[in-house]
Amino acid sequence: MASPRGVVWPLIRKEWRELLASRAWWIFLVLMGPLVGVAFISAVRAYGEASGRGGTSAGVGEAFSPLVGIWAPTFSGCEIAAAFLLPFVAIRLVAGDKQSGALKIESQLAAATWVRVAVKAAVLLAGWLIASLAAAAAVLLWAAYGGSIYAPELAAVVLGHLLNAGLTIALACAAAAIAEHPSTAAIITLSITVGTWIVSFIAAIHGGLWERLAAYTPTAMVGQFQHGLVRLDSLLIAVALIAAGLAFAAIWIRIGTAVRRRAWASLALGVAAVALTGALSLIRPSWDLAENRMNSFSRGDEAALRTIAAPLRIRVHLAPEDPRRVDLERRTLSKLRRVLPQLHVEYVSTTSIGLFEQTAAGYGEIEYELNGRSASSRATTPEAVLESIYSLAGIAPSADNDDDFRGHPLAAEPRGAAVVFYVAWPGVALACAALNYRRSR
Amino acid sequence: MSAPNPAVTPLVEVAGVTKRFGPVVAVEDASFSIRHGEILGLIGPNGSGKTTLLECMGGVLAADSGAIVRDGRPLTPDERSALLFYLPDAIAPWPSQPLAWALDYTMDIFGGRRPLREDVLRALELGPLLDRPLGRLSKGQRKRALLAIGLLTPQPLLVADEPFEGLDLRQARDLARKLRAFAGGDRAMLLSIHQIADAARVCDRFVLISAGSVCGEGTLAELCALAAARGAAPAGPGLEEVFLGLT
Repeated sequence: MASPRGVVWPLIRKEWRELLASRAWWIFLVLMGPLVGVAFISAVRAYGEASGRGGTSAGVGEAFSPLVGIWAPTFSGCEIAAAFLLPFVAIRLVAGDKQSGALKIESQLAAATWVRVAVKAAVLLAGWLIASLAAAAAVLLWAAYGGSIYAPELAAVVLGHLLNAGLTIALACAAAAIAEHPSTAAIITLSITVGTWIVSFIAAIHGGLWERLAAYTPTAMVGQFQHGLVRLDSLLIAVALIAAGLAFAAIWIRIGTAVRRRAWASLALGVAAVALTGALSLIRPSWDLAENRMNSFSRGDEAALRTIAAPLRIRVHLAPEDPRRVDLERRTLSKLRRVLPQLHVEYVSTTSIGLFEQTAAGYGEIEYELNGRSASSRATTPEAVLESIYSLAGIAPSADNDDDFRGHPLAAEPRGAAVVFYVAWPGVALACAALNYRRSR
Repeated sequence: MSAPNPAVTPLVEVAGVTKRFGPVVAVEDASFSIRHGEILGLIGPNGSGKTTLLECMGGVLAADSGAIVRDGRPLTPDERSALLFYLPDAIAPWPSQPLAWALDYTMDIFGGRRPLREDVLRALELGPLLDRPLGRLSKGQRKRALLAIGLLTPQPLLVADEPFEGLDLRQARDLARKLRAFAGGDRAMLLSIHQIADAARVCDRFVLISAGSVCGEGTLAELCALAAARGAAPAGPGLEEVFLGLT
């Protein structure tokens, strides 16, 4: 018998051949170009129009950051592909073995099932990276137009989409392993994807625990990375969920193990995954890789805030759907959490939209408590919130605010992009598919 | 102390294997042994539990109880993988891949008998089909291709489910003759067969199974004697009569 280690390379070659033999992957590859292309072309046009109206770079802010203006929309094409196309490629690779009977032969290998699943996932990720060359083409075009590229923020976006693809692959592998038929696996995968969107929707209405859960959905995670924010908790939770999904798949392709044992193993895995993600959610470090530091206060403010050692409690009387609360959370509290580890924020409201709470006493108040001193305010702007905190702490920030980012306006037209994404990319992909088909015959 | 006779020493034993699907007992307390180098036929009608029993042996289906035993000790999954290779019926693995690749791949992952490759290809007349994808082979061609995969695996025991299924009389006779050529020495075979005439052509010994239970085990002569001992003397000397007498 071949040693367990000795089967890895033949398995990789086999999975790669099976990926190339899969029509689902070639369709995915062909469509990736137009999907990324339409997003990139729209983004460049919008960016160019805004830059033209703005005239010069003087005084422009984050609206002219390629991170928000170009990379986030362009890579959203990858997000759509990951949600709606990639699952079918992954399901084909796992369910194909079950349907053809190959699983019955490969189950007799001495190699552990997790090795086989890991090999499938690695090959699928390689397939995803090849398809992501469409996004790389967008980066090259942007550079050719004279656009600015800030590598760290672009790397953050790429990392976010890579993790998102990993999550999709793990979910689809798990669904294909447990389902009898590929169509059932597809329904399970899409249901879970839609389910995460529903969690985000409910979170926007009810807040609370839902809001905390929604922060770890793939959409929210990708959103963080698309803003150049790399949170260690999100990153590790994504990795843990990918590992859990693949482990679940490995449990369910062990067809020689009794269903009851597999069910118990799955339950234990689920409990361990929940405990692990719960523990990982307590991790605080994060990095703002955006060139315009859109996820951070100015360095002067951050230095001042870091001198506050005592716990800061903020009680916000705003409903989940109140735009002021959304604004406060996005522009101020999310940044504050990164600087103040001992920040405790509590949202208080009796309704979800707050429309009929407006007349209630205290609605709209933001109460601050630090070192036994308290203050309240209704202002939700970052400046006003920081002022309240500084006042309570008795400190003054350095006047030397270093917001030296002046944006990168570029009044460019997406020249040649339509040819690249709508003609050349699908053409080359189809030619490769035809070549592969002829070779395999 | 004399060395054990490999002709009668069991290579492996199936001990009390039982498998239920809900209230249905597919296999009940099945026990028999397989000897070195022999071709053992698992004989029974459709639905008698042959495939279920073989899948339990091959480790692709969990048995409710029982074990595969060697030297009086139940085998671990890894030991079982090293000892036997199960070739399922009615599968079409890797349909997009050419036969040559499938043979090399299975030899790579199982560490197959490479020196036998050309002999097996010649015996099963697979040479002209090497470049053809497995999914485009006819039923008979696919049967031979899968059998080639099985014959090239290194395990001392090949367990094949219905190797003659779907073949016409001439093909079945031809295949039986070729299988015989590859058995013996370090290769034993357990073949499940529902056509008794096919079984009689190729097997050294037989295990008769009916309604999930093993009804008898032995050579044709031993089974005749067993039937007579049970007061069900067969009407004739053939395996069919013995089978009818014992089930």
